[in-house]
Amino acid sequence: MEERRGGLLASDADREQAVEVLKTAFAQDRLAMTEFEAHVGRALTERTYGELAAVTAGFPAPTSTVRHPSTPSLMAEQRTLRKISQAELANALGMSRQTLILIENGRYLPSLPLAFTIARFFGLTVEEMFSLG
Amino acid sequence: MMTFIPPRVRKPAIYALAGALFAAAWLVRGGNLWWVSIFALVGTTVGVVRMYMLGGEDTDEGARAGSRSDERQQLISLRSRALACNLTAIASFIGLTAAIAVNAIWWWPFLVTLLITGYGYLFGLGNYGVAEEGTPDNADPERQTRSPISS
Repeated sequence: MEERRGGLLASDADREQAVEVLKTAFAQDRLAMTEFEAHVGRALTERTYGELAAVTAGFPAPTSTVRHPSTPSLMAEQRTLRKISQAELANALGMSRQTLILIENGRYLPSLPLAFTIARFFGLTVEEMFSLG
Repeated sequence: MMTFIPPRVRKPAIYALAGALFAAAWLVRGGNLWWVSIFALVGTTVGVVRMYMLGGEDTDEGARAGSRSDERQQLISLRSRALACNLTAIASFIGLTAAIAVNAIWWWPFLVTLLITGYGYLFGLGNYGVAEEGTPDNADPERQTRSPISS
């Protein structure tokens, strides 16, 4: 299913979102100026979701808004961004697929150790991942 | 000992052991009802196979049967056990009270069950660290001198 989505045409909003990801990465010193400009140039010209995901692969998505803990976490976004299936991620984090789905939907708040494990996996802080700060 | 047994086999193994003991009890009892042990063994075998197959499924029940529950599934299991224990204690108390009221001779099983649940709860409180509060700040002279508030 992910492969099928990767072939779909991306919208301008998707491209802007990808640029936001790159801006955040640049602000966090994950990208040099020349790399940032090159990535942004690519993000604005790529046509499909798959190509767009390749440009932002490895960079955490920006988290500027504060969300209530009961709202869906960023886990689903981050996972989709990296093209990881629920089963693969659950296996990598040592939890069940059912629990992962509940966390993604905001219906289960993980324990602190698990929250740290999840955040570290995506290269984010716990506050960013679960929108607590 | 359990660590030597593969996780998926643990619960079925316990179930098999319990079923075998139950069947053996009917066999040792003897008399006309020895054949109940055969039914117990057949029932146990069916249950063990069913549990083993369930342990391979990608569901919450499968994770529990396969002894690979994550923290949420363990929490659900823990809450269910706590509820079962509460209900057992309440039922035992009601049974004991009723047995005393009707002057029955079968009061003591209720008392035993009530004592086991009660002492089990107290044992759990002690065992899982309710009394381990740590040392308060004012009991540690070194920390008192280091505290910026005290200076």
